Amino acid sequence: MTSTLSRLLKGLGAALAVLAVLVYVSYLVVYVVYAVDLFRWPFDYDQGEGFELYDAILFSQGEWPYRDNAVYPYYASNYPPLFHLLIVPLLTVFGQRLIAGRLVSFAATFVTGGVIFAVVRRRVGGWLIPLISGLAFLASNYVYQIGPLCRMHMTMVMFETLAIALIAGFEHPRHGRRNLALGLLMLLCAGYTKQMAVFTVVAALSYVFLRDIRKAVAAGAALVVVAGAVFVFLNVVTRGHWWVNIIQANVNEFDYRQTMFLFGQWFRLHTVFALLAAGYLVYELFWDRLSPYSLWFFFSLGSGALSGKWGAGFGYFTTAVAAACLTSGLALGHLRNAGDRFQSASHKLRDAAPALLALLVPLLYLVQAPRMLHLPTSGPVFGSLARVLGVADELIEGDCATFQYHDAMGYTQLGHLLTEDDYAAGEEILDYVRTADGPALSEEAMFNLLVGEQVVTNPTQLLNLYKNNLLDTTDIVDRINQQEFGVVIFRAQFYPQPVLEAIGQNYQPVDHLCMNGFYYHILWPHRICSQ
Amino acid sequence: MVTKRQLGIAVIIIGLLAILGDVVVDLTGAGRWSGFGPLQQVGIGLSLVAIAVGGILVQLGDRPA
Repeated sequence: MTSTLSRLLKGLGAALAVLAVLVYVSYLVVYVVYAVDLFRWPFDYDQGEGFELYDAILFSQGEWPYRDNAVYPYYASNYPPLFHLLIVPLLTVFGQRLIAGRLVSFAATFVTGGVIFAVVRRRVGGWLIPLISGLAFLASNYVYQIGPLCRMHMTMVMFETLAIALIAGFEHPRHGRRNLALGLLMLLCAGYTKQMAVFTVVAALSYVFLRDIRKAVAAGAALVVVAGAVFVFLNVVTRGHWWVNIIQANVNEFDYRQTMFLFGQWFRLHTVFALLAAGYLVYELFWDRLSPYSLWFFFSLGSGALSGKWGAGFGYFTTAVAAACLTSGLALGHLRNAGDRFQSASHKLRDAAPALLALLVPLLYLVQAPRMLHLPTSGPVFGSLARVLGVADELIEGDCATFQYHDAMGYTQLGHLLTEDDYAAGEEILDYVRTADGPALSEEAMFNLLVGEQVVTNPTQLLNLYKNNLLDTTDIVDRINQQEFGVVIFRAQFYPQPVLEAIGQNYQPVDHLCMNGFYYHILWPHRICSQ
Repeated sequence: MVTKRQLGIAVIIIGLLAILGDVVVDLTGAGRWSGFGPLQQVGIGLSLVAIAVGGILVQLGDRPA
């Protein structure tokens, strides 16, 4: 290759690199716009956010959220406590509002992206690959949609990423023991944020095992002892309700077709990252030594395999997204650095390799970028951009509204911005709760919390327990038959069948409101309707 | 330190156990489908891949895993 051509290719590569950075920074802008829109929204955006906030409120009041679901208010949490405990200090600043939890989760995504950047930069050097590896995580459709929600998932991924980054350094001559101890602490935190972190635990300990069997056994034993002690403590102080709500209630039906669908979707959206990460895993498996990052990528696919469980979804792949972004960065960095080793090769190869790699790396990122396309499609900026990209008409249909939003993953209930109509509908629903002559039986917690009422029921938890023959519905059905609840608010109607039947016999619909693309059904007791 | 040969043997054992588990599920009728259902087919497929990978790793000998 002539030096002129080599310079031309390097120049073109630099231009593509700038373009790639601009594209991924654009995704970051879209993410921040969506997050800020959510921070203003006082109601549940995703069903379950209010319950996560309520768990934090209960902790702030010195109460456990792991309770008997058979007695009023028929509420219990089905998640470990750490995410909720992280929200508690913010309640003094924001009050009992979802923004407290949403900020924690949003910050967690940036910590994760930052750790990915730091690990890739430390391992392979340079700026482009580490920067885009970190930005790519935030650009993922999955991370975008659930990052700013008051849900624990992204906080778990943050702890997992920190754990892997720390345990990667367990053999450091000076800081090895510290890194291992902190890494185990992060694994403990991840597991007590969400149970699914077990796959990262296996990945981390597998890595230590491959390098130092004794240390792995000791570390694993220490983790089991500490995690087990915390587990037993929680179970004792909650009189067994911890075990019922966290473990037994989460054994749900499994549909392998949902898993296959989500695996295909995850791969379609993150193709380049997944292939690079898989390629790096194969390379390390046969030609090098396995790193904790490749092992993490491999085992993270296990959590994706659980996505067929009832109530699960694409969120189960967010660990795999983080692992793929990190490991693909290492793969590309390794490839780029391998090009430098051609310095001792023939003249033609010595010149060609760096130039071609300077072109290939940003090109791969640019090939990947449109596969994750997601953006609002209205407004002066996004509307114009959507028209230029040809997606202005490829919108998502909710139950009762068309979202001014495009997402390459197809139908999704998340990701779109809220409208004035949504705010108006929310206020109308709140009016029903304020004026009810009894407590509200609401499928979403924020309608109760925003009027200062106690949260009654965690519907999906009741349904999980009922399906596992762990719930006595006698008391709640009696109250419904007595028409003690002043109003019932339905959305998805994820309640046990006896509860739904009792409501059907004693309450009747008086209004249907479209909010956030979903119908909310307002039901009054017959005793009011017959007046 | 675990070698590639040792890792390969472990992977082969896991693959064989997974195949055994698939067969046991079929023999005891524990699954939802009669004969090999889709999950079992996926399991068998992945197990065969694991055994093949394990076999290659065994050939790589005492290199560190």
